[in-house]
Formats: sequence, C-alpha cells, structure tokens
Amino acid sequence: MLRGAEIFLQCLRAEDVDLVFGYPGGAIMPLYDALDGSGIRHVLTRHEQGAVFAAEGHARATGKVGVAIATSGPGATNLVTGIADAKMDSVPLVCITGQVRSSLIGSDAFQETDVFGLTLSLTKWSRLVRSIEEIPAVIAEGFYWAREGRPGPVVIDIPTDFLKAKMEFAGPVKFTPKPRPSDSATEAAFGDKLISLLQKAERPVALIGAGAKLSGAISELRSLLDELNIPTFATVHGLGAVEPEAPYYLGMVGMHGTRAANMALHENDLLLVFGARLDDRVTGDPSRFAPHSKIVHFEIDPAQLDRVRACELPVIGDLAKTIPAFHKKLRSAKLPNWNQWRTVACGEDRAELDPRGLSQPTIRFLDELFGRLTQNSVVIADVGQHQMWAAQRYCSASPRGFITSGGLGSMGFALPAAVGVQLSKPDATILCVSGDGGFQMNIQELATVRRLNLPIKMVIVDNKYLGMVRQWQQLFYQRNYAETDLSDNPDFVEIAKAYRINAVRVQEDVMREYPVNENTADALERFLRSPEPELLVFDCAPEANVYPMVPAGAALSEMLFEED
Amino acid sequence: MHAFHIHYRNTQGTLMRILTAVSRRGLDVPYVQASADGHGQCASLLLDVNTKQIGQLCRDWYAIVDVMDVRVGVPTAEMLDSATGLPSAHPPVSASAGSKNANAAMA
Repeated sequence: MLRGAEIFLQCLRAEDVDLVFGYPGGAIMPLYDALDGSGIRHVLTRHEQGAVFAAEGHARATGKVGVAIATSGPGATNLVTGIADAKMDSVPLVCITGQVRSSLIGSDAFQETDVFGLTLSLTKWSRLVRSIEEIPAVIAEGFYWAREGRPGPVVIDIPTDFLKAKMEFAGPVKFTPKPRPSDSATEAAFGDKLISLLQKAERPVALIGAGAKLSGAISELRSLLDELNIPTFATVHGLGAVEPEAPYYLGMVGMHGTRAANMALHENDLLLVFGARLDDRVTGDPSRFAPHSKIVHFEIDPAQLDRVRACELPVIGDLAKTIPAFHKKLRSAKLPNWNQWRTVACGEDRAELDPRGLSQPTIRFLDELFGRLTQNSVVIADVGQHQMWAAQRYCSASPRGFITSGGLGSMGFALPAAVGVQLSKPDATILCVSGDGGFQMNIQELATVRRLNLPIKMVIVDNKYLGMVRQWQQLFYQRNYAETDLSDNPDFVEIAKAYRINAVRVQEDVMREYPVNENTADALERFLRSPEPELLVFDCAPEANVYPMVPAGAALSEMLFEED
Repeated sequence: MHAFHIHYRNTQGTLMRILTAVSRRGLDVPYVQASADGHGQCASLLLDVNTKQIGQLCRDWYAIVDVMDVRVGVPTAEMLDSATGLPSAHPPVSASAGSKNANAAMA
C-alpha cells in the first residue's frame, strides 16, 4: 500500500520529471512529506509566482515539461499569471495545486479556491482529482496534453485527503488519446499549391515564430531558408531560429522590429509564416497588415489560423513534418529569380537600426555583454524597454538562447525564469536582463539565487521609470508621466548585498567611449565569468526610448525613429 | 443568427471551456442546450456573430481537447422561439419589494 502522495510522485518520475519548483502550504503538505527519496529535486522559491516562472524557464530552456507546486487558495491563485503566460507562449507546464479535503470542497473552507474554474480559460487541460484511484491516469493525461501539439499549461488540483489516503499501486499508466477527425490530409495536399504560389510571387518573404523552435526542426528550417534565399525575419520568440549572419536575415519584426524587416513584411506579395500566430505586436494595424500579401501559414494549432486575415493556404501540422515535405517539393520546382527584390529588401539603406539608436549607451552596453557570450549562453529578458533593446541586439544562432515573456508580457518574469534556466544548464552563462520596475516584482527570488548559489548574471537597466509606459506617455499622452516615476527606487546594490550577492553600479557614461576602454572591458569580462551570482545595475538615461517603434494602430511601414 | 453544434466528450470542464470561448468575446448567448448525443454530448448555441467570429469560435472550440466536432448551421425554429421568449428586464427587478420594505428587511 502506498500513500496518494507517493503514487503522485512516482507518476511524476514516470513522466521524466526530476526537477520541480514550489512553495509548501497546508493542503499540499502530504506531497511535500513524501518528497524525500522520491528522486525528484524540489526547489523552494520565495513566492508561488517565482515557482511558476522558474518552471517556465526550465521548460523554455530544455523543451521538457516544467512543474510548479503550490498549496490551495492563495498558493494556487499566485500561480495564475504564470499559467496565463505559458498559454500565450506555448510553454509545456504542469501546475499541481493542493485542494482542501474533498468533503469540504464547496464549503468556503479555509484556503479554498476554485482553482479549476479560475484557470479554465487559461489552461489547455485541467482536472480536479476525485479519488486516489484517479491519480495515475490524471497525471499521464495531463503531461500528454502539456506536451502534445501546441504545448501549453495544465492544472492538476488534488484534495489533500487523496494525498494522504493509501491504495495498492500497480504502477504509472500511459495515456492514449481517443481519435477525432484528423488534420493530416492538409499536410499531404499543400505542396502543389504552395509551389504555384511561389512561382507567381515577385516579393516573397518568410516569418519565423516560436513554433519553428518548438518543433525542433531548426536544421530543416535553416536548410529550407538557404534554398529559398528570400528576405526572412523573426518574431521575438523566433529569435535564434535563423543564423543571424544569413544574408537574407533581416532581424526582428514588429512594433520594435528592424526597419528592414518591417518594410519587407509590409511590401511582400507572398508571406510564408512558420509557427507564428501573427499577434498585434507583429502585425500593427490588422486592416493594413501586409496589404499586398497572400499568406501561407505553417501552423500546428488550427486555432491560430485566420486570426488577423484569412490565409491563402493553411498548412496545418507539425513543422518537423511539413517543412521537410515542403523542401522536398521545392527541390524539383523551378522558381523565379528574386535577386532584385532581395537586393531592395536587404539593402544597406534599410539598416537594422537608425544610426542614432546605435549610439545609445544602453544598446552599446548590451552589445558589449552579448558580444562576450558563448554559444550555449542564454539571455533571459524581463518586460519593457530593456526587453526590446535586448531583442533588437540579440545575435546568437542558439534556438533556445533568448527567453522572455512575449505574449503576456509579465513583468517580474526574468529573475525566477533565470533560476529555472540556470538549474537546467548549470554550465552555461545565464544573463538575466531586467528593468528597475520588473526586477522589484520578484526581487525576493534573490534569496533562491543565493541559497542555491546559482551563478546568474543579473543586469538591471535602471532608468528610474516604468520605461516603456513612460515612453508611451511621452509619445502619445503629452508627456503626462502618470505614476511611472520610480526615482525613489531602493538601492539595488545594497539590497543585493543584504542577500549576500555581489553587486556593482555602472554609470552609462562608461559606454560613451566606444569601444569601451580596457578597464570597463575587464570588468564586464569578470562579471560574466564569475562563478558566483552577480548583479550589475546599469544607470540608464531616464528618457531613453526604444526605436524604431510602430505606434499602436499604425501600419508596419509607419515606424517612428525619434520623438518628433 | 447562427446555430453552432459542438460535439464533445463529457469530461470535467469541457462545456465550460466551450462557453468561455463565447463569454471572453463579450457575446450574449440567447439559446444554449447541452444534451446527450450518441457516445458524447452536444452543446447547441445560438449566437449573433460575424464571419470572422465564426471562424475564430470554431477554431477555439476545436482546440479544446475533448471537443470532437464543430458544425455551424441555420437556427431551428425552436432555437429562435426560445431566444425571442427571453424576459426583457435586465437586471431582474423585484415586483413587491419597495425601498421601505427592503430597508426594513436590512435593518
């Protein structure tokens, strides 16, 4: 006879779970009681939101399912932002929440929350466990749906009495989904029409999204793009999927994308979309998005098709299958010569950033840091101006090398996510870039960093504002800086020291000399190579802005390059 | 008005997921019925939606793990009758409780 908690943990091990993040509490205590000797490492964060973001970091860095554990009531509700984040960014995540004992459910018992109901619209699948006997099947099915197709978040809510109860356990089970009408016919039939569209196209382009990385088909994608040799750009989650040095690669597209990418996306007459959902940050004004374009959409999730505009050709299926099928068809096809279009789209007059932007100290600073990173390094960006500067300047060919909260835009994501990434990649340099606003949203995770002695390299780009909101207030609200002033920020260096973490403050003036002088170069090198956690606070000009910028509601071709 | 028939396995929360795909778009549901249908269940909804919303809803419903099939059709007379038969008062107003009585009850 085994306790429900022991069965639960054995089933997690059967799903290849060896690392979980969580925070204990009343209803989930039986699970914690059984952790010792389970073969699963538990990392205690200092807030449940830290746990769920750390689990996301682990999942995003490895492709494995991230697991977060919390107790009932406030423990469970504190997970909600992370669950929504995982839904938006297609992150495989299983959240395990304790629930009050089954006889009390519905009675407004102490720390009772309807977490199942609360997360219905945020999860891909969820279950309130109704008996100890259900535990193996629920875990098997939950992990199946977290991984299957477009990955996403799953919630398993388990009443505390089922964790304490005992039963004979025959072992973990496998889940086999029941069949439903298949989409596979679409996979087989798209080739001829796609080739025909390409043959008629004069200005084709390719847009790469997160799906390209999630499918694991990076080498197939790169090989296909090399053969197509058409202007190509990526969403923030597609960064790293394409070799940055590829002559046809134009960088990031969208609200803060490069001029070249946005112009090509606006001007093309055939848009090949690989695993991107075309959200509003990528399209600008949907009614003026790619006005001359026919869209061919490679996508695993049919729910993402036609959201902005009807596509000419949907190719539904796993990119790991559809890209090779497309490439095979392409080899025997005669395609037009697109040299003239490529010369225009990739021309030097469409430089990736305005030269004035390149002289910005923060951009120089990020360039100095990124230039010192090795191939297996990972950059984790929080949300705001620094995120967009980092995305603009990220230049690695590492598919899982740039991690950020893209869809939900959750401030406070980066530090706990970096914990999950560093634990997944103990030998890699993990660079966590935050703003002064976002860093304070989960600053308590410095305790987790210290406890585990994780050598995360933390950077705060400190402009003493909620910078991105302030930028919008400056540009679109007549400089009414309502409640975005953070000039009374605490001293982050002293806070880090209180957590026994090395910290230093750097003034942006050191970046006015470019390339930086030897002392600064040595200091940056020491910072990145230190075996200890390190914090660097970079004092940034309060009113520095991110450019180019496509204002909300404008077309991609209507980029701003300066204030006036 | 369009009629939607969503066939699904009657697992925990599936009907609620079907309905939240509607409610998140701020749509009213003048008619809804869920009943057994062969080996599963079928939810029939009457919605006033445009072509784009039809596409989005159908894809959202189909993305729900336990939804088996989604069909769009012409509303039946029963659906339309039920829809027009809804009470118009919103929110409901008590016919008998005047403010004096209500205050007395609260005291």
